[in-house]
Amino acid sequence: MRLLDWIVLLGTLGFIVIYGVAKTRGSKDIEGYLKGDNSMKWWTIGLSIMATQASAITFLSTPGQAYEDGMRFIQFYFGLPIAMVIISVTIIPIFYRLNVFTAYEYLETRFDLKTRSLAALLFLIQRGLAAGITIYAPAIILSTILGWNLTVTNVFIGTLVIIYTMSGGTKAVSVTQKQQMAVMMGGMILAGCMVVYYLPESISFGDAVSVAGKMGKMNIIDFSWDWETSWDDRYNFWSGITGGCFLMLSYFGTDQSQVSRYLGGKSLGESRLGLLFNGLLKIPMQFMILFIGVMVFVFYQFNEPPVFFKEATKQKVYASPYAAEMRELEAKHQTVFAEKQLAVHGLAEALRTDDEAVIAAAESKVTTLTATTKGVRDEAKALITKALPNEETRDTDYVFISFVMKYLPVGMVGLLLAVIFSAAMSSTASELNALASTTVVDIYKRSVNKTGDPKHYLNASKMFTVAWGVLAILFATFASMLDNLIQAVNIIGSIFYGTILGIFLVAFYVKRVKGNAVFMAALLAEAVVLYCYYFTDIAYLWFNVIGCGLVILFGLLLQPFVGKR
Amino acid sequence: MKKNDSIDAENPLDKPPFFKSWKGMYWLVLGNLAFLIIIFYILTKIYE
Repeated sequence: MRLLDWIVLLGTLGFIVIYGVAKTRGSKDIEGYLKGDNSMKWWTIGLSIMATQASAITFLSTPGQAYEDGMRFIQFYFGLPIAMVIISVTIIPIFYRLNVFTAYEYLETRFDLKTRSLAALLFLIQRGLAAGITIYAPAIILSTILGWNLTVTNVFIGTLVIIYTMSGGTKAVSVTQKQQMAVMMGGMILAGCMVVYYLPESISFGDAVSVAGKMGKMNIIDFSWDWETSWDDRYNFWSGITGGCFLMLSYFGTDQSQVSRYLGGKSLGESRLGLLFNGLLKIPMQFMILFIGVMVFVFYQFNEPPVFFKEATKQKVYASPYAAEMRELEAKHQTVFAEKQLAVHGLAEALRTDDEAVIAAAESKVTTLTATTKGVRDEAKALITKALPNEETRDTDYVFISFVMKYLPVGMVGLLLAVIFSAAMSSTASELNALASTTVVDIYKRSVNKTGDPKHYLNASKMFTVAWGVLAILFATFASMLDNLIQAVNIIGSIFYGTILGIFLVAFYVKRVKGNAVFMAALLAEAVVLYCYYFTDIAYLWFNVIGCGLVILFGLLLQPFVGKR
Repeated sequence: MKKNDSIDAENPLDKPPFFKSWKGMYWLVLGNLAFLIIIFYILTKIYE
């Protein structure tokens, strides 16, 4: 990294942290600290909601996912706008009417203390783990690519977030998220323009999209459904619109890191509009990020990609007795690439002719060579496993950052790193703020110390913000590489969200089910979801439906046997 | 409860911008989803 990149990176992050601290210090009680004195306008809420959901993983992993698997991940978000409307109609008015600090407070009004505490605890476990991954995910990738020390990177991200979140609470989180969203969107749009700009002169934007389509990357929607196989398919229209809707209902309706974003609104209408703003813009935003990944894929059809994107791992193999084999594979990869590059040029030319026979012949050639390239990559991965048995061989999370580091001009590298840091900080800040508010309001103030004064609870909130921050940094430092980072976060979410959502849906809509029944139903449903996760192949999005459905079903079945409480 | 009533009274956003009621806003969000799905379907078919 060059001096200008450092100036852009540190300048951007420093400005956001100082601005956040300066603009928002001075809360006198937890009303101001945890709800921002109900002063947020709808655009602040909307941007804050989007920034909370868009973590660094979104910007590192999503383009890599499109590079490997095409655009079909977009279907994951189809349930989101529906969920936004449902929450706006049903859930926000209830939270506003009861003037709650956290979503779980409502559960005591409707059921009892133990159900409120159970939901709060499920949230704390799930979000506490996710906060660690939110810091760890970018740190592991940046430390590998830039050679930074992993622990220092974890501590750097965590400490920056703790400073302004502890100082200004909810308001600081929302205020800084506006700047962070501007950095994220600006950086990604510039990166997208650069990828297209770097395509060969003979390849127009239209050619690039056509080539991507013929190579299977424009697989945006899949309506097909097979009763035997589609349950295991992670991303299709049906799992996205149903499972995705349940996940988003749960995430935005019951996860305090999102609920606290809109509970700080100036009015019910401002909160509603903030959520609907997210419902309108989230899918286009994800589409843009995935599309950048597809363009990076096309770029690498004309510029030789590495045989394995995680350079540090490759260097370790070169330092092992398997160095000669790796060199051989790289040479083979280079030869196949040269042939494939010509074939892809041929395909682009064929696509301009509109002659189906010519297109089919060119496509067939590209398909064969793509399979050969994949074969060489698989051989390289097998060699890595042989040389380094504990090394992760998935490299999709490194595709985009490798492109940024190798091809983007000086200054832009710093900006793109600022995008990743901003995203990590915005999500982590919301998480720490939500973890602290749930710990103080639902556990500490309710069950541990009920007689403190406002100043005491304000200090406790600040202390818990720091404590959760330190815990997240520790978890990030000791976490090991997971399958795919964005999926890891969503899988952890799906395991707990369904049950939490089930409790809330029973609370809202199934009035005859009372506290004891819903409490037992939630425990049973969570046990079934954990069984499904460990012992079946069901795609994780369905856990949301299963957990939620079972809480409602068990609640109804148990109610006649457990009394009226 | 009173607190929120006063908040709403201070800063009434009981109607969304550009629409007479919230129902219109909800239909805009759902219509936008339907529109995007149609566009995505067309793009998938064109480029498959």
